[in-house]
Amino acid sequence: MKAGEGVDNKYFHSVVLQEDQCIGCTSCLKVCPTEAIRLRDGKARIIGEKCIDCGECIRICPNHAKNAVTDKLSMLQNFKYKIAIPSLVLYGQFSGKVGINAMLNALKNIGFDEIYEATMGTEIITQVIREKILKEGSIEKPLINSSCPAILRLIQIRFPDLLPNVIDIETPIEITARIAKQEAAKKTGLNISDIGVIFISPCTARVTSIRNPLGIQKSYIDGAISMKEIYGTIVRNLNVFPEEYTTTSNREALEWSITGGQSKAIGVDNYIAVDGINEVIKVLDEIETGRLEGLEFFEGMCCAGGCIGGPLTIENPYIAKTNMRALAKGLPCADISEERIKEYIRLYEEGFIRLTEPIEPRAIMKLDKDISISMKKMEMIKEILKYLPGLDCGVCGAPTCRAFAEDIVKGENQKSICIVKTMENFKKKKI
Amino acid sequence: MDLIQYNFDVQKDDFDRAGEASSNIKKILRQLGIDAAIIRRIAIATYEAEINIVIHSFGGEIDLEVDPSSIKIIAKDKGPGIPNIDLAMQEGYSTASDKVREMGFGAGMGLPNMKKCSDEFNVKSEVGKGTTITMIMYI
Repeated sequence: MKAGEGVDNKYFHSVVLQEDQCIGCTSCLKVCPTEAIRLRDGKARIIGEKCIDCGECIRICPNHAKNAVTDKLSMLQNFKYKIAIPSLVLYGQFSGKVGINAMLNALKNIGFDEIYEATMGTEIITQVIREKILKEGSIEKPLINSSCPAILRLIQIRFPDLLPNVIDIETPIEITARIAKQEAAKKTGLNISDIGVIFISPCTARVTSIRNPLGIQKSYIDGAISMKEIYGTIVRNLNVFPEEYTTTSNREALEWSITGGQSKAIGVDNYIAVDGINEVIKVLDEIETGRLEGLEFFEGMCCAGGCIGGPLTIENPYIAKTNMRALAKGLPCADISEERIKEYIRLYEEGFIRLTEPIEPRAIMKLDKDISISMKKMEMIKEILKYLPGLDCGVCGAPTCRAFAEDIVKGENQKSICIVKTMENFKKKKI
Repeated sequence: MDLIQYNFDVQKDDFDRAGEASSNIKKILRQLGIDAAIIRRIAIATYEAEINIVIHSFGGEIDLEVDPSSIKIIAKDKGPGIPNIDLAMQEGYSTASDKVREMGFGAGMGLPNMKKCSDEFNVKSEVGKGTTITMIMYI
């Protein structure tokens, strides 16, 4: 099955392969953290069931054959009232000379009626975690942030027993979208279905999560446009229109999309903030085996630097971070009244901004439903491995010799062979 | 034959690779489709056993045996052995050096923790020869 085949597909993925550009080089095989890619007939194939949309393959592909399916601007026509929620990451994509107001006005004038800043969502999450979840202690420690969709999917697959530690609150964008839609409906008198909320996304996994949400029944976000794709249009619009929008962001919000920003905002002492999917895996491993005692909060971000390093961004994450820092200096610190905190907690208690659906473990690594058959398959894998060179060269199309053996046992590889082994046998033959 | 066996070498003082055996065992059990909660207990216990070999012994090995009803972990090492097992089983008791403690190990929770994680637990030790810890978890 090819990933991204249809919208209704259970395994819809934002990350897809542009076949004509793939030369079968094995680069992506090696970086995939869930071993979800195989080369078949000289082209990379994504195994939909295993892909977590982290975007590592998009980043590494030297031929730009890996891409993300996102929505097009033309989708705005489907709605009477259009709201854009740009990821806060957008603010770091311009040099320090461009102000937030200028960016947001440029974005609005592409064809949106209104802009909502994700700051609203970050503020709500921060307060609910700080004033409600941490104080009540109803969720297992260490709390795990629910904001990175790739990490959530990783936990489902590789660390299912840490699922109870995931904070049951929506992401900043989803929360902002919900409030934006409600407010717009009240203001315009339109039906909710006539109001379109479009997310300007730095993240492939978020695009997938909008169509295939985790923890909620349906997303309030109607579409996601790649930040990369809309960037040029924003740049062309800069300083063309009169400024009518003034940012309501604060310093804390700007740090949210940078690793460590959430922990800092929440204000816990014993936290760990990790970015880069491989480092996240290592630290989750430590948490799983109980080696990080007393840890209160784990902030895991799939991309280097946090969301600011997302696969659909333009600027280098370190430069973007510097840009964000410059912008943050000109903003006030968050100042939230007791009433507003109470209101946020009420929204959480009523379930409006909460993950209401269970996030189920996905045991895709298991060889068979029946343990004795699994055991037999495991023995076969061990047996096959004895005859493989252990170089993990990837030429057979599997990322490792072990994956090659597993594919054979699972019946997922009838065709490909180990070239290294074949060559060795060839050499041994006497003429 | 409904039995799976794996064997992992553990070297003395090899902190670089410490955790590799428990990590591999976790992967194998996940592929077999063992319940996540059981895997977690085994991962904790195996890691403790592995670290014990690295810190206290002259080297050893960890064996994994799986049959359809239970998982057995055997941690065997070569010397120096535990003189007083009852004492070693007490929480907080440790013979680790200050250097090792500085690294965050040797809190004296190793053996008690392993026992807590297992359904059956056994320590055999002979001073000068070595220690064998056997842990069984039911599936």
